[in-house]
Amino acid sequence: MTLFTKEDCEKCEYVKDNFDLTSLGVSIETLGPENPDALAHLAWHGLVTVAEKMLPILVLDDSTHIAGALKIKKYLKALEH
Amino acid sequence: MGEVRDISGRVQAIDSTATDKALFVRTSGMEIVEWDHKKIVDTLIRETYIDEDTACRVADEVQKVILNSKIEVLTAPLVRELVDAKLIEMGLESARRMHTRLGMPLYDVEELLVNHNKENANVPHGPEATNLTLAENIKKEYALLTVFSQEVGDAHMRGDIHMHDLGFIDRPYCSGQSLEYLKKFGLNLPNALAVARPAKRADVLLAHMVKFAAALQSNFAGAIGWDAVNLFFAPYLTDLSDDDIKQLAQMMIYEFSQQAVARGGQAIFTDINIYWEVPKHFEDVPAIGPGGEFTGKTYGEYEKDAQRFAKALFECYMEGDACGRPFFFPKPLVHITEKFFKTEGHEEFLELICNVSAEKGTTYYVFDRGDTAKISECCRLSFKLEKQDFEDAKEPWKMRYSALQNVTINLPRIAYKAKGDDQTLFTELTKMMELCCTAHLEKRAFIEKLLSQGENGPLALLTMNRDGQSYLRMHRVSYLMGMVGLNEMVKVHLGTELHESEEAFKLGLKIIAHMKLITDKFSRHHKMHFVLEQTPAESTSYRFAKLDLKHFSPIAGHTVRGDISTGNVYYTNSTQLHVGCDVNAVDRVGREGLFHPLIEAGAITHIWLGEQRPSAASLASFVKKVFTNTHNDQIAFSPEFTTCISCGRTERGLTETCTRCGSDDVEGITRITGYFTKVSSWNDGKLGELAERMRNNGFFASKPATCDEAESGQGG
Repeated sequence: MTLFTKEDCEKCEYVKDNFDLTSLGVSIETLGPENPDALAHLAWHGLVTVAEKMLPILVLDDSTHIAGALKIKKYLKALEH
Repeated sequence: MGEVRDISGRVQAIDSTATDKALFVRTSGMEIVEWDHKKIVDTLIRETYIDEDTACRVADEVQKVILNSKIEVLTAPLVRELVDAKLIEMGLESARRMHTRLGMPLYDVEELLVNHNKENANVPHGPEATNLTLAENIKKEYALLTVFSQEVGDAHMRGDIHMHDLGFIDRPYCSGQSLEYLKKFGLNLPNALAVARPAKRADVLLAHMVKFAAALQSNFAGAIGWDAVNLFFAPYLTDLSDDDIKQLAQMMIYEFSQQAVARGGQAIFTDINIYWEVPKHFEDVPAIGPGGEFTGKTYGEYEKDAQRFAKALFECYMEGDACGRPFFFPKPLVHITEKFFKTEGHEEFLELICNVSAEKGTTYYVFDRGDTAKISECCRLSFKLEKQDFEDAKEPWKMRYSALQNVTINLPRIAYKAKGDDQTLFTELTKMMELCCTAHLEKRAFIEKLLSQGENGPLALLTMNRDGQSYLRMHRVSYLMGMVGLNEMVKVHLGTELHESEEAFKLGLKIIAHMKLITDKFSRHHKMHFVLEQTPAESTSYRFAKLDLKHFSPIAGHTVRGDISTGNVYYTNSTQLHVGCDVNAVDRVGREGLFHPLIEAGAITHIWLGEQRPSAASLASFVKKVFTNTHNDQIAFSPEFTTCISCGRTERGLTETCTRCGSDDVEGITRITGYFTKVSSWNDGKLGELAERMRNNGFFASKPATCDEAESGQGG
């Protein structure tokens, strides 16, 4: 799974701070002006337009995605149990 | 001792100290005047920075050369060449540059006057067109010498980058406008011999639109797009019968499509944006009607009349011209939105426009998903509406957009230089983008210089301020950066093409993502709107391929597409998969669409149909799926036709002879890049591409075309 975030994004920080993402098998991609890899990865999943409106985005192993901190939190909580 | 001939042909012996009396010069002012060496001095002082003594020395030296030579016909251009040679000899390179004479060799002019120039398939061959080309050539030289720095000019000449429309250096590139400007202010143009009040009838509004478009085409290098044409005409249509609306639609299409012959030069590259629904941002906007008066209704209340006009336009497109050929212009761009699918009658309209696609290929499908709205034009260019634009939409005459220039990067060349090294690849790419940025800054400075002269200057039309701001709104101008040959770049770097491996495709995405981030950085730094666009590259992909064969062989020989033995070489357009790769239409649209959200100023996927005639239903189903399941920005279906000059029959497919009368006087027609045109006007690179296009045979459920259908057409 991949969590797309960006700098200075409170909701992104909230998800990162409240979960042990590594143990959940989530890698983090931080979108920003110096990171074409992250943007390319986002484009690969067809999520560029989604990310313009909402972050963070969690891409699941089956390539579906969940957008928004609250929904991601709910999903990850369920995963923790 | 020397000798010269005077104008009567008499040979006179003179020595190098002789006076000027026996010499005559044919000037560019169309006079034969007596030799006066002071003219060289005066010219050098006026045009360069050298001092009088040096100028006199140059003039003396040149006079000696002339007197000692046996020149029979002395012309002003020759004198200038001799002066330039002397300036070089004396190490005065900067003065030589400033003193340069621009022009074309005699041989080239004769070639141009007699033979067809195929750089732009949209320009016919004729006296007016050759005027255009001659002027373009001089302006190109001027641009490279004067407007752009040596570094930028040389990068263009080498083929590292391509600055489009250099021959139109004194104009912006493309523009998008609103009919509301004409409806509100009438046709009141600077330097016009007559001023027209706002139109009171639909046919007069159309006349204003066509004339304004022609005026705009004289001030822009590229396309002239019009937003929501059917909607903005609607307040004029309420009292018209369906027949009258059909007649108006037919007039609009014929007026724009026949302008090429009337103008002599490039056709007015016209795009009309069409909406079946009333776009959300115009729903509550007060409508302007006859006489430029507000009608008291909003545009939301004109949906039905707008739909009647949209249908009438596509019924005309369906019929084609008098020979059944597709109309090349105006290009209809239908916006497909969420609201489209919720608007009554959309199924029937979708079937109609898909039928036009299947029959003639004319329809373009522009996908505006979510809250996105844009004005589309050119071969794929889009102006995406931003927050301020939605505010402007309340007064739609303000909605005028332009791209000032387009500069394209030769991507395969960067891969040749990188020799497989990632870091070099991206460093070189950034370097090229910095050059593009410089080119934009230099063009902007030049255009601003012209604009500063206001309505008395060369760009008077663009400075007119009927609504309190210049027609060309510089603060909303875009600066385009394009790309050619991503597919070949990736192939050189990794060994596989975009469609051949996930690794190659992901590298392609990373390259475009890198380009997007750099343009964003330029935008922030310069407070200008830099954006990526898929360059149409009608001649650029051919030019880059030819130059790379010359300078980067043997590797370029393994990379360029087409046929090297015939010279029909090219690179794959922009970020597209290779035209010939065996990827079906669904996959192609899906995969190419992954690049589109990174390319803000417009992207398209072409679906080549060849001689197939798919059913409207199969195309409609395809269009819906593209909207719902992909991120693709725009698609177009492209059938091929052969029209017989002898008997007038138009049939599907590209053939050597007419299947009805057997004549070989036939003309092939299909889409070259973002528009239809005659194949005979294509450059060699595009012909190479045509030969390799994968035509999706059997992919769409087909409907056989009958002879009657193929021969239908009208001209009324």
